[in-house]
Parts: sequence; C-alpha cells; structure tokens
Amino acid sequence: MNTTLAIAGIVIKELYRRKDFYVLFVLTALITVLMGSVTLFHDTHIVRYLKEMCLLLIWICSLVIAITTTARQLPMERESRTIFPLLAKPVTRTQVVLGKFLGCWLACAVTLVVFYLFFGIAAMSKEHHWPLTNYFQALTLHWIMLGIVVAMALLGSLVFSATSSNVTISFVAVTFILLLGRHLDKVAMQIPQPASGALQALFFTIPHLEFFDLRDLVIHDWPPVRWLVCLKAVAYAAAYAAFFLGAACLLFRRKAIN
Amino acid sequence: MNADVSEDRTRAAAKPLVGGGMTPAVGPILRIENLCVDYRPRGSLSPGKRAVDGLNLSVNQGEVFGFLGPNGAGKTTTMNVLLGFINATSGDAYLFGTTVREPIARQRIGYLPELTYYYKFLSAEELLRFYARIFKIRKTETERRIDQVLKLVELEHARKRQIKTYSKGMQQRVGLAQALINDPDLLILDEPTSGLDPIGRMKVREIIQRLKTEGKTVFFSSHELGEVETVCDRVAILDQGRLKLEGRVSDLAEKHQLSLEQLFLKVVGYSLPSATHLPP
Amino acid sequence: MTRDTAIRLDPPKPAGQSRVAQYALLLLLTVCFCLATDLTSWFQDWQGNRTESSNLMAVAMGDARRMFANHFFVKADAYFHSGFYPSIYDNQRSFKTPHIAEDSGAMRGKNTGDETSFLGPPRNWIDSFGREFFPSVHTHLNEGGADGEQKEAEVREILPWLKLSSQLDPKRVETYAATAYWLRRMGKPGEAEDFLREGLRENPGNPQLLLDLGRLFFDSRSDLIRARNVWEAALRNLQSATAEHKDQNKFVEEQLLAASAKLEEQANNPGKALGLLERLKAISPNPQAIEEWIEGIRQVMKPKPMPAP
Repeated sequence: MNTTLAIAGIVIKELYRRKDFYVLFVLTALITVLMGSVTLFHDTHIVRYLKEMCLLLIWICSLVIAITTTARQLPMERESRTIFPLLAKPVTRTQVVLGKFLGCWLACAVTLVVFYLFFGIAAMSKEHHWPLTNYFQALTLHWIMLGIVVAMALLGSLVFSATSSNVTISFVAVTFILLLGRHLDKVAMQIPQPASGALQALFFTIPHLEFFDLRDLVIHDWPPVRWLVCLKAVAYAAAYAAFFLGAACLLFRRKAIN
Repeated sequence: MNADVSEDRTRAAAKPLVGGGMTPAVGPILRIENLCVDYRPRGSLSPGKRAVDGLNLSVNQGEVFGFLGPNGAGKTTTMNVLLGFINATSGDAYLFGTTVREPIARQRIGYLPELTYYYKFLSAEELLRFYARIFKIRKTETERRIDQVLKLVELEHARKRQIKTYSKGMQQRVGLAQALINDPDLLILDEPTSGLDPIGRMKVREIIQRLKTEGKTVFFSSHELGEVETVCDRVAILDQGRLKLEGRVSDLAEKHQLSLEQLFLKVVGYSLPSATHLPP
Repeated sequence: MTRDTAIRLDPPKPAGQSRVAQYALLLLLTVCFCLATDLTSWFQDWQGNRTESSNLMAVAMGDARRMFANHFFVKADAYFHSGFYPSIYDNQRSFKTPHIAEDSGAMRGKNTGDETSFLGPPRNWIDSFGREFFPSVHTHLNEGGADGEQKEAEVREILPWLKLSSQLDPKRVETYAATAYWLRRMGKPGEAEDFLREGLRENPGNPQLLLDLGRLFFDSRSDLIRARNVWEAALRNLQSATAEHKDQNKFVEEQLLAASAKLEEQANNPGKALGLLERLKAISPNPQAIEEWIEGIRQVMKPKPMPAP
C-alpha cells in the first residue's frame, strides 16, 4: 500500500506542477464570473442558468483533466524510460497500475474540491443559501464517476498504442454514455432485430455514468438523493472500476517492457 | 573456448575475493542458470531471434564483475531478465537466492540504466525520497541517506532544483544516487560511464572502487575495456547470446598473454590486420 | 577563401529575373484588389447575405440561430418544470406546446396525454435506478417548484433562456409574449412593457404583441384607454394580415375580441361589448360559452322594474 501511495503521490505532484489545471480553473472562473455579472430584467437573484453553465464547465474540465492525465501516465513512463528505474525497485506491475489509478483519481478529487468550492461561492453569492448536502452528494458522485473514467482510460492506455487515440476514444465513449446511455433501450425498442438486440446488450453492458450526474437536481433545488441509493451507486462504480483495473493489471503484467 | 570458460571459472572460484579478504558468501549473490531468451515478432509463427542462448553465470559477494560483449550480444537482454523487465523463455536467474520473478528479489539491489531519465518535474531530493519510500526506508533514515548519496555524487547544490534543469552529467549522477539510496548489496550498472566526460568517468570509477572496499557487489556492463580492466575482479564476454569467456582479469591476461581489449577482439572473432597479428 | 565567397553558397540570380517576379506579384495584388472591390458590391446585394445584419449572432450563425432559439425556448420550459422534461426519445404528446407559452396564451395549446407520466413505467432495473438521479416528478415553478415550497418568484429562472431565445430569433413573437406574461406575474410590469416594445421594434404592429401590451395596460396599470387603443390597432392589423399564419392569427383574434369585450363591459359600454362578442362567437371553438356571456350582458342591460310605492 505504501508503494501504491508513493506512486500516487508522484501523479498528484505532476498534476499541480503542470499548467492544465490552473488554465482550466481560470477559464471556468472567468466565464462564470462574466455570466454572473449579467443582470436580466433588473433581477439580481436569477441563478440557475449560472449554476448550469458553471456545472457544465466543471464537468467538461474534470473530464479533460481525468482523461488526459490518465491517458499519458503509462505511455509517458515508457517513452521517457522512467519505468525502468521504477520497476527495478521491489515494485510489482500491479502496484504501478494501482498507484497510477489512485494518483489520477485523487488528483481528480483535489480538482473537484476546488471547482465545487468555487461553484458554491458563485451560487451562494446570488442564492444566499447553501444546500450543503446536495453539493456534497454531487461532488462525491461526480468523483466516483471519475473513478470509472480513470480506470477506463488506464486500460485504454494499455490497449491503444497512441495516447491521442486513447484520449479521443475515451472522450467519445464518455460523452456517448452521458448523453445517450439512458436512452439506448428506448431506441432499441423502436428498431428491428438484430440491431435491437445489439443495442440492448450495449445498454446493459456499458457503465451508466449518468447515474452520477446530479446536475439537474442541484440546479433546480431538488431534495438530496437517498443515501442508500448513493451507496448502491458507489458499489456499482466500484464494480466497474475494479473490472477495468483488473483488466489493466493483467494486460500490463504481460506487456514486455523493453 | 568452452573449455576456457569452465577452466577459468574453476580457478576463479578457488581464489579468495579481492577487497579486504572477505570470505566468500555461502552462495553466489547473482546466479543465472541455462538462461534462454527469444524475441518473437507478434503474431508470427517463426522462431524469432535468440538473444540469449544457454547462459550460465554466477557472481559472488564482494566482486566487481564486468559483463562485456559487442553490440547485440545479449547483455542488455540478460540485465532485463535480472531486473524483471522481461521473462526468460527458459532457464532462470536468482538474486540473493530468490528468483527474479519475485519483486522482493530487487529489495537489496540498485540499478543504473544506460539512459538516465527520471521524472523531470521532481527535484533530486523528491526523487530520492520517492524511491526510498518504495524501499520502505524509515523517514529519519531516508533523510540521512539522501544527504549521504547527494554528497557522494556531488549534487547537494542542486538538490531542490527540478531534474529538467540538470545537465546530462548531473542526470547521470542523479541516476547513481537513486541506485545507491537503499544502500544496496548488489549494484547493477548498465554502461555507467556512457556520455560522461573524463572527470565524470573518474568519479564513477572512484565510486565503484569505494563500493568494492565496503564489500558491495557490482555487476556492470561497459564498452570501456580500459576501465573494466582497472576495476573488475572478474569478467564475462558474451557474443551472439553465448558466453564465450569468463574468469578473473589477471588470470585471463596471464593465460592468453593479451590485454583485455585484444582478448575481447579475439573472442568475438574480429581478426586484426597482419601488422598487429597476435600470437595464439 | 574570401569572405564573400565563403558566405555566398548559391550562384547569384540575374537581377532581371527577380525584378520580373516582383512586378508579377504587384500585378497579382492589383488584380485581387480590383476583383474584391467589384465582388463586394455584388455580395452586398446577394439575397441571404448576412453581412447586412448588425446582429453578431445572425452573422455568425445564419439561419441556424432559429434552431437554437427554439431550443432555448424549450429549455426555458424545461426550467419551468425544474428539469423534468421529455427528451427526443420520450413521449412528447403532453409537451408539444411549451407550457410556459400555453399558460401565457402566447400559443394555442396542442398538448394531449398525461404530462406527469411521459416516462412511463420503468422498463428495467437500470431505468428504475436511474430515475433516482434526475428529476422525475412533474412540477411547475409557479406552483411550488421542485420541493413544493418555492415561491412564485422562482419563475424568474426561465428568463435568461427566453432572453437568449429572443436575441437569437427576434422574429419569434411567442418568446416576447410568454416572457412578458411571466414578468407581469412576477410583478415587473415595467420590464414586461420594455420587452414587448423591444419585440414590437423587431415585429412592427404584430397583433400578438399588441394584445399582450394591451393586457399589461389593462391588468397591471388599469389604463383602459391605452389598452383599448392598442387592441383596436391590433384588430385592424389582423384584418390586413396575410394568410400565412392563419391559425395563429385566428387564435390571437379570439383573444383580442374576448379581451376587448371584457374591457368594454368594465367600461360600461355593453353595446360595444356585445358587438365584439358577436364577432367572437362566429370564430370561437366554444360558441356556447360566448352565448352565455352575451346573455349575461343582455340581462344587465335590461331596465330594472321600478319599486312599488
């Protein structure tokens, strides 16, 4: 565990020494502040459009950080040959994969805390109330979802030879699932076989990332989700992340490092 | 030539080790048994290239062992197997009696790769702290070791600077520092003086000598035969994946009446021009 | 080797060749400039040219902005329902006419079916589980919102999307009408009037917008004279309107006649009111109700019997 945490620490250090996070945060903050400065119909309490835009930017930025950070970890280790002195230590390949996953996931956590803090302050400045439970649930489930995305991108980095391919395919897959994942079974019912069967199979196979998207509930001040339901969602995410990580560990163990 | 190998090996094993008159270890620290490594192109049914062919080798405690051979002889492949980067096709290798397939076998070794690349966004201090943590060295001991190795490799003045600001020589020294952070009993060096200026090479030789006096075992490959002759107790010469010659440097020189370089050329089958024709 | 020969690696080109190249370039530049000046005037006259517009969005997006305008109008309706809204894959029968437009009278409602259950029963465990994470209960912002406790002022949340929709497609009259209605309900008649006037600048004399302006004068300002003037102008404009938006015009005419009749009734002009109601009865889909209204007014018009001494 110590070794895994040590490798994770390196990933986090890399994130805050690169410029990506700062650029994305400043961009998000700038756009949010600009949009918040607009007064419509002399009403200064209109806030939901601002919450929606801010949350959309947070989701886009978090996915960019998660996928690009993860996709380059193992390929960069090989290209820069830092994998050799690392594996020459008493480290298993499984520990390397788990360490990279933990590092990227924890880096996402840090990112999300900063972004959601900013979001909370921006919303509170107009709403004058702070639904902490809703925000906490939204942040936690968002982070859990990024665990699946990180595990998926890590597996992709071992399957695809080029980092750019992995990044593109990961983005397309995640966007597809978030936008259409919920509706695949409805579409399947309206088309003939065998496409219908294939779409149904896809519907039941893909990780439904939309379970973790509480934006609508946060924007429109719905009551918080039941905690038991949240726990089930966490278990669901853990299962998928474990599957992707297991596959990644198996692949990495068989890969020749030379 | 195989007779030379077995005869020299027997003579070498009989003599006491250089370096303070230490008694030989119960078993060799590094042991390679019938090692074979094939490189097969992916998806191809052809047998591929045999990079290492039936290699048998052992290195005792306290020895400085030179692993020589022309380019493509199988030196790096052998080292990759020792370090667990690739799996052997057949045969096995052991470090401190433990098979190299187990990560714990690498707990007491230090490795300096030929091309030294480390995390550019880290400083030397952070890099050493990271590796020390992997070796599970206690915090207080870690700080002491970091100070010690940075002083040894003369990088104290640059310890807090990011590695991306280092020159090649400094990066090489960081590599040496990370190889020594866990106070290893066995040091595996792949071309340690590659790319260094004469002063750098001298410093590396001094470090190897110093490790030798401390009773450490050093296993390194190099093309600088002059250096090998100076620091090594025993050498092995590999060619086309096969062990051609092995033995104590002094014994080989005495037996063949050749310098190490001349012997190397002869072993690998390079025939010199007639003006420099050597006696058999 | 002298310095000159050391530096010069290529043999020098003849001076004449480079001069010809320069003149050729200059000629080419001149031809391009002349062509540009000639083509610009043609481009300005070209039908569909966007450069005539001073609206940045019209220039940038062309006709696609109407699609976005419709999208944002529907988004305002989604906000009105606190996010509970059918996607393109769901049953949209009860959301064909956005509720914010239907409630405001800006559009004739064509919704059928149950608006609370467009999702239908859960199809599988994933669908059932997924409904915990998005709005799945039908609510209106002016009726308590998501938690049933929100004030009517929360309807303001739909305004940014309506504003954006109006900027993308200023010719879309329903946007101005719906926005003005909800602004009036929020107690902002001044803002509603300004927005309607903005709509009238883009759509001069539009009967729908005049109807809503008249409503504002009548309901919010109790200014019967201005309301009457505006509605009479709207009715006149309707007469001269083209047959292009016949259905919508008929809907507007019904509302105008009903509102005018109510105004005249309140202003103690029963005769004028009856005339308007007769016109309304001819086009209304519910003539029975109009007839009852007419009867009501006639009852009021009958002279009351003198009390016995």
